[in-house]
Amino acid sequence: MTETLQTDVVVIGAGPGGYTAAFRAADLGKKVILIDKDKSLGGVCLNRGCIPSKALLHLSKTIDDVKEAQKKGVYFGEPEIKLKEILKWKDSMVSGLSDGISQLAKSRKVKTLTGHARFFSEKELEIKTEDKIFKLSFNDAIIATGSVSVNIPVLPNNSCRIMGSKQALELKSIPEKLLVVGGGYIGLEMGSVYNSLGSRVSVVEMLPNLLVGVDQDMVKPLQRKLNKQFENIYLETELISGEETDAGIQVKMKNNGGEFSETYDGVLVSVGRKPNTDTLGLKNAGIKKSAQGFLEVNKFQQTSTKTIYAIGDTAGEPMLAHKAAYEGVVAAEHTAGLPSQFDARAIPAVVFTNPEIAWVGLTETEAQEKSIAYNKGEFPWAASGKAAVLGFREGKTKILFNPKTKQVLGAGIVGPGAGDLISEAVLAIEMGADADDLGQTIHPHPTLSETMSNAAEVFLETVTDIFIPKRKRNE
Amino acid sequence: MSNLFIMTLPHLGEGVDAADVSEVLVSTGDTIKKDDPIVVLESEKASMEIPTDVGGIIKEVYVNQGTPIIAGDKIISVIVDQKSQDEPSGKTVQKTKTPTTGKNVNQTEPNTVVSAQQPQKDNFRTSPSVRKLARELNINLSNINGTGKKGRITREDLIDEIKRRMTTTPLPIKEEIDFSKWGSVEHKPLSKINKITGKRMETAWQTIPQVTQFDKVDITALDKYRQKINENIESKKITFLPFLIKASVQTLKKFPNFNSSLSLDKSTLIHKNYYHISIAINTPGGLVVPVVKDAEKKDIVSLSEELRDVSERARQKKLKPDEFQGGTFTLSSLGGVGGTYFSPIVNPPQVAILGVSRAQWEPVFVKLENDFNPRYILPISLTYDHRVIDGEEAVLFTQHLGNILAEISCFDLSQ
Repeated sequence: MTETLQTDVVVIGAGPGGYTAAFRAADLGKKVILIDKDKSLGGVCLNRGCIPSKALLHLSKTIDDVKEAQKKGVYFGEPEIKLKEILKWKDSMVSGLSDGISQLAKSRKVKTLTGHARFFSEKELEIKTEDKIFKLSFNDAIIATGSVSVNIPVLPNNSCRIMGSKQALELKSIPEKLLVVGGGYIGLEMGSVYNSLGSRVSVVEMLPNLLVGVDQDMVKPLQRKLNKQFENIYLETELISGEETDAGIQVKMKNNGGEFSETYDGVLVSVGRKPNTDTLGLKNAGIKKSAQGFLEVNKFQQTSTKTIYAIGDTAGEPMLAHKAAYEGVVAAEHTAGLPSQFDARAIPAVVFTNPEIAWVGLTETEAQEKSIAYNKGEFPWAASGKAAVLGFREGKTKILFNPKTKQVLGAGIVGPGAGDLISEAVLAIEMGADADDLGQTIHPHPTLSETMSNAAEVFLETVTDIFIPKRKRNE
Repeated sequence: MSNLFIMTLPHLGEGVDAADVSEVLVSTGDTIKKDDPIVVLESEKASMEIPTDVGGIIKEVYVNQGTPIIAGDKIISVIVDQKSQDEPSGKTVQKTKTPTTGKNVNQTEPNTVVSAQQPQKDNFRTSPSVRKLARELNINLSNINGTGKKGRITREDLIDEIKRRMTTTPLPIKEEIDFSKWGSVEHKPLSKINKITGKRMETAWQTIPQVTQFDKVDITALDKYRQKINENIESKKITFLPFLIKASVQTLKKFPNFNSSLSLDKSTLIHKNYYHISIAINTPGGLVVPVVKDAEKKDIVSLSEELRDVSERARQKKLKPDEFQGGTFTLSSLGGVGGTYFSPIVNPPQVAILGVSRAQWEPVFVKLENDFNPRYILPISLTYDHRVIDGEEAVLFTQHLGNILAEISCFDLSQ
């Protein structure tokens, strides 16, 4: 049975980008339909990504902190892991947040549909739900279908020992020996979780560094810690094959030292994500894709078909929830005729390992690649009282400045809470603030936030918390 | 004992944000003494020599001729010679700290120098809220000069821009005409002073409704008196200008509207209880208008000396920025050249300017004697801002000024 529907705005995908776009459009007086393939709203981020992974990382950090406390004279004994209870807590938290989103939709009179959407034309969609087919005509559509994990063809695809990030978060079991394929942020985050829960973890990465693209001085304190916690970190190593045996997954790898093989109880694949747009019928709507598979958009988030917008992971890198939400607002406001556009100067990124790594704007790696002039102010956490209290003195706060105008170009932070600390640098970049603005802002003591003004003062050569010899100053 | 000192540009004074290096007087390896001039700058208001804060040997010169420069920019580095630094000097040493650290990239490339007025594109000092407002008002931020700290574009700047757009009609787009089509031409670049003067004149002409009142003044007696004084003076004879300044001050005291400025919101006229007279001086570099401060407190002889000193330094481009500030009324004399009447342009924020031309002997019919009498007549032209001064007042002003100049006894010469 086919039912016809009409709406001002249809949003496909109810992740952080999609539901933000739907709610903003509704608040601007639009009639909105929000479609997701899951009954539970919130998308990958809430259900199978950021939120549940952070829940587990929080436990992982707590376990680390307990061990740290032992160095300070407080002993808790060995932690007892009750997987079922952890899962119950995680699932109830996720469903609580998801219910909250459904509630927000309801109060705004946003109609939600569970099903798959496919374009007929630049004005029409077909939506297949469990029991019905809808034909929907719309004025504007916003594509927010996110991304899916990339698989590796050399691994068997029907083994329950092989997990993507989604399965890894389901915590079906804790493999005694786990191989993480890919040294990116998802691999390191999930590897850390499983390590805390008792797995012996190894990481295999094709490239010479973990977290490629992140300044290596930021990665180093994390890598030093992981070197102790993980069994092996294989860099510049290629995964050749994997076969299921009785003992587990037998994996063949190759590097400079030649080929070798290892058997693991579980393999977690986290080699990247790709935009999820294959089943949308983009051709029917005349929407163009870039070479990387992203939908091409202008600054208003419009695709090559002006009535159809794309946001979040479908619209390009970086694939981050906060970018998706920002773009969702731009798209929704543009459908309502507001003069909004993608105008952000910088998008922060965070790796939620312990220690966390966060960065925003220009990195030294990028500056050197593109020959961009910069000066930096770097403040080692060894000189921070709060870092000493926390027992993590290897942290660092680094800010890159324009040598002429002294304005903030970028920042990187490694240490506990880096993800929260980075926001100040994001605001500084958005405001066009300079080293004096940061240095002369009073930061509360004793906190890690002080390292931001300290880093600015290092650049300004006015810092008093560390000593920089004269000769070095006049360099 | 020697160490490296980096000399940076001190603040140039109120209202002067940027300048161009018009001359570099030193080069690497030179030995300099404290207070020796190192560069000559040409700013919007003046040319000035910048002296070094320390003596020693120059290690590096960071600027070239034509380099735009702002306060805090590096000029030279000096290997300081302790002895020369300890030499006593009347000037206070300006210690400005160098703003950049060790890793200096693109230090001497002039085109990477970014002044406060020209923030790097895409990195203006603006907040996201101002950028949003700019989109709503359809304003391109790269065309806006921020008035906030360090050139920050504020909400008010956008509102001012909208107001400006509402009050000015767009000028027709002018195309550069190729004059060489009709014969040979030469392109002569205007000096910085020429350009600044031009811009100020354009603004004054477009924003002030101005009227010029002409009058004739009989200065026969004054001329005689002046010659008598000059008989006793060997050189540096006294011109008419000090007398004109004195007479103007006395007239301004009686007509305070002429010694005023209009408030920015045009709601208040600000009378000034001081008399700083701006003097227009033509120099080889262009028109400059230094100020004779507190003219009411100075006598003819000291005014004469001051005028001589100021004109001489103006020609040598050695006036300091503060010598251009605070004028309340302008005198422009073309008496040395000729002509009869002209219409000077008001010099904002002042509201009036007096132009004087060359005095000439004219036959004046004196009714009492029923005959023509030779009189020495000075043509004067008073331009005033019609928003704050009306026509009758202007006539009374020129008449009063004429009476003072005509009756030497009216002159309060001592004060």
